[in-house]
Amino acid sequence: MNFLSNKSYIAWYFVIPVVFIHLFVIGIPSILSLALCLTDWSGLGKINYVGFENFIELFDDRYFKKAIFHNILWTIIFLTVPVCIALMCAYLLTGIKRGQMFYRLAFFFPYMLASVVNCQIWKYLFHPIHGLGGFFESIGIEALASSPFTTKETSLYAAAFVDGWHFWGFLVVIYLTGMYQVDNHLYEAADIEGASKFQKFRYITLPMIRPIFIFSLMIIIIWSVPVFDYVYILTGGGPAYSSEVVANYLYTHAFVRFNVGYASAVGTLMFIYVIFIVGIFGLLRKLGWEI
Amino acid sequence: MIKTIISFVSAIILSVSFSAFSKTKVTWSMESNADRDPIFLEKLQNAYNSAQDKYELEIQFEPNETRIESLRTSMLAGMGPDIVETPGPSYVKEYQEAGMLENLDSYADEFGWKDKLIPWAYSSGVFEGSLYAIPKTHESMVMLYNKTLFEENGWKVPTTLEELEDVAGKIKAKGMDVYTYGSSGWQPTHEHLVGIYLNNYAGPQAVYEAITGEREWTDPVFVEALELLKKHMVDEGWWSGSLENYYAIGWDDFHAQFATRGAAMMTIGTWTFQATSLGIGQSGDEWGWAPLPSLSSNSGGPNFMIAIGTTMSVNAAAKNKDGAIDVLNWIMSNKDVVIDIASDFQFGEFVVPLLLDESDIPSTISPQVTSYLNEYARITGEGNYGYCTWTFWPAEPGVHIWKDMEVVWAGDISVEDFMYDHQKMWDKARKKNETLPVPLRD
Repeated sequence: MNFLSNKSYIAWYFVIPVVFIHLFVIGIPSILSLALCLTDWSGLGKINYVGFENFIELFDDRYFKKAIFHNILWTIIFLTVPVCIALMCAYLLTGIKRGQMFYRLAFFFPYMLASVVNCQIWKYLFHPIHGLGGFFESIGIEALASSPFTTKETSLYAAAFVDGWHFWGFLVVIYLTGMYQVDNHLYEAADIEGASKFQKFRYITLPMIRPIFIFSLMIIIIWSVPVFDYVYILTGGGPAYSSEVVANYLYTHAFVRFNVGYASAVGTLMFIYVIFIVGIFGLLRKLGWEI
Repeated sequence: MIKTIISFVSAIILSVSFSAFSKTKVTWSMESNADRDPIFLEKLQNAYNSAQDKYELEIQFEPNETRIESLRTSMLAGMGPDIVETPGPSYVKEYQEAGMLENLDSYADEFGWKDKLIPWAYSSGVFEGSLYAIPKTHESMVMLYNKTLFEENGWKVPTTLEELEDVAGKIKAKGMDVYTYGSSGWQPTHEHLVGIYLNNYAGPQAVYEAITGEREWTDPVFVEALELLKKHMVDEGWWSGSLENYYAIGWDDFHAQFATRGAAMMTIGTWTFQATSLGIGQSGDEWGWAPLPSLSSNSGGPNFMIAIGTTMSVNAAAKNKDGAIDVLNWIMSNKDVVIDIASDFQFGEFVVPLLLDESDIPSTISPQVTSYLNEYARITGEGNYGYCTWTFWPAEPGVHIWKDMEVVWAGDISVEDFMYDHQKMWDKARKKNETLPVPLRD
């Protein structure tokens, strides 16, 4: 009984319900998924053990390789474009005294909207009949005649653009929070030394917000693995797998092709990759990196 | 006096409540559609409930996008509705193999269902020698055209490839799209076109032989069929002007394009009849339909592709199995109910494949639909029918035929390679006994 009333365990009691829900919703399905990747289960009926057949097939699957390449591209895009824009905007916003809240709200607003709403807005904008293409055509200009979401060469970038448009406001807010925590005396000293605005950003702001900055990079890398909603709604991974990403590929196999065993193998590889990334960041932290 | 009135009213309420609660509930998860749901509630659910005192039918509507997955989850959990509605035989096969559907053989014998249904439609629900599903609706693919526009320009409705290419050139010269159609919102739309080209270029006999394994899908006749589709889709931009626009356009868009002369023709399934009648009806133009043109001498003349749009089965774990059977039997025993509901949809939905006579077709439906029904019965009755992919293709090749067709259209792989992959999937499906019932050809 003393064990139950021990104060050092009280926090555990409060955490137990959440742990239980996680175990039920994430833990058990994850373990089941790990087991299913060694089967040919269709999602219904008999489960046959097939060993590593799914993985062998997967490593030979050209569309899976394409999806991985697209995920890597997606990660690179998100590690550069929204990050650079958000850093620049956040830094510029620190210099705005009046009306800053308006900009913050405006930038953050798309992040608050549901992905399906954002996607529909952009789909309508680029609709070949009702969208900008139709409008330009009506005034005799041949521009945007085809939707970038349905053009093989642009579909991935178009989906990434819309997702980036919704996401970068979030980065602005977290960078801005970090920038406000920088000691103002450092900037005053830099002013006395005659530092330019860029020098202050490069040598004071950036090093001082490094933990937040590295954290943002980490979440971008991790979130780029299961990227799904924007691709699914805007392009469905098409046309011709030109915007296929791993999570959408998994979904198609699990829920369209009735190939749950194969989809589980995809999920298992995604899981291993995320663990690897988290492990790297954990290792860097142990090595003394401020992240 | 007041006490007497209260007692009387209470007695009525109690008796009504008792009769409602004394009925055992039968549940049916049905694909939702804003236009159709009220009709199904009034003419199916309420009509059935009024017709007998034993069971209370409750239809639960849900969009197919989510319904298919939630149905699968509930069935896996040993739950699910009493009447299981699926989008086609490949789904029935999955459930049947998992032992989740009731064997309907004894009921079919008892109620004579086999004699009430079109033979090929009945056999589409027979798996491993037993009946597991009844078609809720059957359908075909047709070519619609703007009759007023064709008459104004003196265009001939095409029946051959040469005539089709000729009229396509004339339509394009007028600044219109040849066909309006698109896959936005429903990517499997591609399979409608693939099916048309396979059946009308290679011919139903060749398709039948490939389905039954007597011929390979790598046969040059199939490769040529899909090369022709690629030419018309990618090089000529027949559908909605370009491949990119075809991908971007959805149901509402292509009906609007058809109604406003954005395009002269439309390749589509018969499920469109209601929407087309309403859409083009507002524009003042008249629409017509025609069988899909023969695209080569192999096709053997006009044919109608046969397909099952939706199926009805009984959940093996149903709480009210007898009630579910009773509902199915009531539908099949009441031709008038089926005709009445199907007429409201211009025979585009709830076309339960009951054996009908020409005299059964009500005068309230449009003359175009009447002529289609008669022609369909005549031509398929002569054995000239083809095969829609969503009814006769097993699950994995069935997805491959539309999903990976985009890769062919994109020029990433050749038609030969595509058909080679397709054949491999059929071999795999055959090995795993996943092939679906196909009616024998005469």
